[in-house]
Order: sequence, then structure tokens, then C-alpha cells
Amino acid sequence: MVRRMALPQTAALLALSLSLLWYRSGESAYAQEPAAHQDPVVKQDPVVKAVPPAPTVVSPPSVVVAGQGADVEAVDVALSPECRVPGSKLYTLARLGAVKDALKENRPVRVLAIGASTMGLGASATYPVKLETALERSLTNVDVVVESRGLQGEIASGAGERLRSMVAEVEPDLVIWQVGSHDALARVDLEAFGSALDETVQWIKGHAIDVVLVSPVYTASLAKDDYYTSLVRKVQEVAQREGVPLVQRYEAMRYLARSNDKGEGHLLGTQFRLNELGLRCMAEHVTRAITLSLLQPDPVSTGTAGRPALTLAPPNDAVGAKPTPPAGP
Amino acid sequence: MREPNAVDFWRGLALITIFVNHIPGNTFERYTYSQYGISDAAELFVFLAGWSIGIATRNRDGSPEPRLKSVLRLLSRTIEVYRAQITTMALALGMIAGAALFLDNPLLLEWHNAGGFFADPIQTMVGFVLLTHQLGFFNILPLYVVLLGIAPIFVLIGRVSRVAALVLSFALYAASLVFEWNLPSWPGEGDWFFDPLCWQLLLVLGFTMQDWSRTSPWLKRWSRRLLPLGLVIVVTGIVLSVLELRPDPLLVPDPRLVFTFDKTYLSPARVVHFLGVLLAFQAVYAVLAPRLGWVTNFLASLGRNSLAVFSIGSLLSLAAQLVRFWTGGGVVVDVFVVGSGLFALGFTAWFVEWRSRKPRLSSP
Repeated sequence: MVRRMALPQTAALLALSLSLLWYRSGESAYAQEPAAHQDPVVKQDPVVKAVPPAPTVVSPPSVVVAGQGADVEAVDVALSPECRVPGSKLYTLARLGAVKDALKENRPVRVLAIGASTMGLGASATYPVKLETALERSLTNVDVVVESRGLQGEIASGAGERLRSMVAEVEPDLVIWQVGSHDALARVDLEAFGSALDETVQWIKGHAIDVVLVSPVYTASLAKDDYYTSLVRKVQEVAQREGVPLVQRYEAMRYLARSNDKGEGHLLGTQFRLNELGLRCMAEHVTRAITLSLLQPDPVSTGTAGRPALTLAPPNDAVGAKPTPPAGP
Repeated sequence: MREPNAVDFWRGLALITIFVNHIPGNTFERYTYSQYGISDAAELFVFLAGWSIGIATRNRDGSPEPRLKSVLRLLSRTIEVYRAQITTMALALGMIAGAALFLDNPLLLEWHNAGGFFADPIQTMVGFVLLTHQLGFFNILPLYVVLLGIAPIFVLIGRVSRVAALVLSFALYAASLVFEWNLPSWPGEGDWFFDPLCWQLLLVLGFTMQDWSRTSPWLKRWSRRLLPLGLVIVVTGIVLSVLELRPDPLLVPDPRLVFTFDKTYLSPARVVHFLGVLLAFQAVYAVLAPRLGWVTNFLASLGRNSLAVFSIGSLLSLAAQLVRFWTGGGVVVDVFVVGSGLFALGFTAWFVEWRSRKPRLSSP
């Protein structure tokens, strides 16, 4: 585990990011980033330029146009080359109050990562370790402690029950939950799945702990499975309804699948390599969503405090604020 | 082959319940008794394992067998269970990997914690043989291995004083509950799904109560008198689980595991509920057995061959999950997978007994 002491600069950085937000709020830039910008490469924030030691956390995603002719969407270049996905495909953002509080109080941020695949590839690069490293790189001078737990196959309300025990054990500031894999495999009734997820997310938030949901993986054989895509959509719905950030692993991997298609067709193993890539990129994708969510404005103290945070950055191919429905390749 | 008895009967029921509950999302799940109480089939299974140790380490006339013989008997059983765990885990991983290849679907590799094995086989292989890497739903036998491994200590102490064995067991349980002692999972973070340091309490309870019930008229008398209390506990359990009422683990006072309904650490509420079930159902077998006909024989045959039936049952549950996923599930599929599973469990029990009746099969 990488453990570093939090430094006093944290508060200053946070104040910086908040003031930056205040500055930017008029533009509602995040609501449209990144694909909506016609001239994305030159997009630079003057405030970031003006403050030399600005940490990554305050840099808005700069974007470039993807090289693929068929797909003229902008990818987020803050990510490693093989993991680059347009922000709109990758996440929806919402406020992370508990993590902000931890940053303000200058204490380590405790993260509980829950999911089916808490293991990464190879001993030195497991998902929790990568996540911790990526978060600490992104939130400079902040100590992040990631604990990870695997669910053993519990579904719907059973998973929620198990999650409560884990949360009580770890007492985190933030729960990152890769949700839905076991439910999809057990073909849980979608309504039961959705209401159990709603309930659990409300419980976590009710205890002043932040939640980031991560949707299940994309794989070609499941893209044609109506049930599976409905389940992915259910996760999006819940994230939007509860006002929590969502990492759209499904959408991101689908994008990567298309951009990585080297004409191998459906040879056995193609999907497995994609899955490896998806796992490798997940820590980065999650980190990006968290970092940008931390830039979400605090609710104004007059009356709007109880309102769920706005879900910003709608996918550019969706109408209004509706999340992209997962679709086949 | 022994005649049907209450222990085998209830153990058979626990085995079927575990088989059905290990196919998450299936139609029949909601009809198992696990859904109507705070404790479930796991408690029953471990308690009856302790009870069986009590029977196995005594002669027919109730006199204890020689100490060394008991220790060796338990050691031999530990090895048997360990071997069963390794075999079923290997087969389960093979089934998961095979299904993932066949369906071209890497999502299956993440199933029940199996992802670690496929992503990091070097470390996980070590965890696999050390029993510290457990697949979801394949975590009861590791508990059983540890429990049988430490059972000789309690059996030998129990020979001197049953109270001493119970006190020691309870002290270990209470300390593990308060200080959250558990065996670690490795590789990966977290702990065992069933904490042996807590669950040993049920094994020792089963073992000492078997011994006690044999000799003490007092225990029999009082368990009859407390039957109404058992019924109250059972009804309370039904109400709490149907209404999904349970303590919020972040709101209970410290030490929180004493107050929650935690399965890993066998929270006291689960023990109390289980003892209530025991009181309420103590005489039910005698009433049911003659009336159920072949069902009694079927359940008892499963219970007599619990290790084989449990191992095959785990694999059948996994196979049933794969079939449900592949076909999309539904009531018809559920009837098919659960029905054929029950048939296969019955066949397993029959086959094990047939094999033991014919000890010298000529090798093909």
C-alpha cells in the first residue's frame, strides 16, 4: 500500500479548485465537456495557466479528436493512450461531499472498492493498488487508502446486506462499487435489482459516505443480450436518480472495442483481451470520474441542499440528460 | 447403512437448502427456510457436524473411544474434507473457464471471486491450496477443514469437562466477535466468509449437547419446557426476515458485531435464533418421519453421505447457475435445474453407498 501523509497544501489546492469552479460555473463547461467543443485542442483554462503548481485535479479534460475516421469523437487525453475514451462515454459526474470534507480536514481519504473483480493483472498491479496510485497521482499531496473487498456472489438485496457489513468494517469516505455482474449472471429481476440498488445507495449516502457506481463490463456476446443491456441501463438510471457519479465501464469498453478492432473478427480470445484492457483501464477511468466529480459545485446553502446533485456531462448522442442506452456493437 | 434418524434427516434438509440457495435468483430460493429466519442452513449443518463428532468418537455403548483413536479419526476426516475442497474448487474453476470460452464471455471469469485465479494464477494457486482463496459459495468446506482440525482439542477437553470445553469455545467466540479476529483471505484483501474462530462455537455446542443429551435427563426436561420460547423465537425470526428488519451496522454501538446479524462472525442473534429453531423443532422429526415415507429415506440418505452430497451439490449449483445464465432463466429452467439437481444428489448418495457395499470392484 502506498501511504503518504497528507500535506497542508491540500486545503490550498482544494480552495483553488473551488475558486476555479466558481470561476467556471458561469460557462457550465462541465455540462458539455468534452465532445461539444468544436475546437477542443486549444481549450485551455486561463486560471490553470496562471497558477503554475496547479495539480492535475484542477485541469479540465483537454481533448483531441480521435484518429478513427468513422468516429470523430474527442477522447480524454488525461488517460493513458490505450485507455482513451471520450469523457461523455466514460462518466456522469455528481458531487462527492464526503471526500471533499476529508480533503478540507486534511486527513487521508479512505476508499472502499467493492466488486466482482477486485483483482487486476499480476501481483504488482492489482486494481486496488492501481487505483490508489492513480488517485494519489491525480490528487497531489493527498493520502488515499484503498481497501478492496470482493463480493462472493451475493445479488440484489443480499449484496446490499453484505456491502453494509463491509462499509461498517472499513468506515470509508468513498465507496466505489462495481455493481451488477453477479446480478446479470443470476438474471435477477430488473425491478428487484434496481430497488435494491437504490436502497443501498441511499443507505450509504445517508451515512454521509460518497458512492461512485461502476457499470458492468462490455463484451460482444452480451451486447446482443437485451436483459444485460437493460441491467446496464438500470445502473445508469439509479446513478442518475440518486445523484451519484457513474463510471460507464460498459460504454468505455464498447468504445475501446471499436477502436481496438484490428479485423480479427470474433476469434476466440478477442473478448478476453478486451476484458484485460478494460480491467487495466478501470483504475484510470474511475480516478478520472472521481477527480472531475470533486470539481462539482457544492450545493448552494439556500434550500437546494437536499436536492440530488445534477448529473452532468450527458453523452453527446443522447437527447437531453438521459444517459446513453447501452446498445450492440 | 444406518436407518434414517433425525440427524441425517435434518442434515439432508440442510444440504438441499444449501444447494437451492446457492443458485442465486432461482424461483425456489424463496421457498427455503433460510428466507424465514435470522440463521440459515449453514448453522444447522455445522451444529450437526459437531453432533456427529460426538457420536463418531464414542462406542455404541456410549463409552468414549481411546483418545488417540479419536484424534486420528478427526485427522483423517480433516484430510478427507480438504481433499474434497481442493477437488471441487478445481472442477469449479474448470467449469467457469470452460463456460467463459464456450460462450465467449469473459464476464463469467469474474464470477464469485474466480477472477483472481485467472488474473493472477501464481499467487492464487498458493492461496488455493492454503484455502485462503475461496470462491463464493465454495467457502463452507474451508471452514469445515479448520473446525475439524481444531476439534480434537475440544473433544479431549470435553472428555475431562464438558463445561470447560464450552467455556473455552465461548471465550474464543466472544473475543473474536469483539476484536473482529478472523483468518485472512489471500491473495486479495478481506477475511474468510465464515470465520472459523466464531463458527467453532456451533460445532462445540453440537458436540457437547450430543454428549449431554445422552446422559442428562435435566437437559431433556428443560428443552421440552422451553419449547414455547423456541416457537416465539422462530416466529420473531419470520417476522424480522419477511419485513427485512435488521440492525443498521453503522448505528449499533460498539462492539458492533455483537448487535448486527452478521453471518461471517456468527453474530449472537444468529446463535439465539438457531437455538430457538432447535428448541421448536426438537420433536418434529418423530412426528414427520413416519408420515413422509420415501422423503424421509431420501433426506436421510443425503445426510448419511453429507460430504459427497455437499461436494457434488456445490458443483451442481454452479452448473445450474451457468445453465440459467446461458438460457436466460425462467420458471421452466428453474424446475429443470433444481429437479435434475435433486435427482443427482439422490443418485450421489445411492452411488456412494453402493460403492461401499462393493468394496472390491475389479479395476477396468
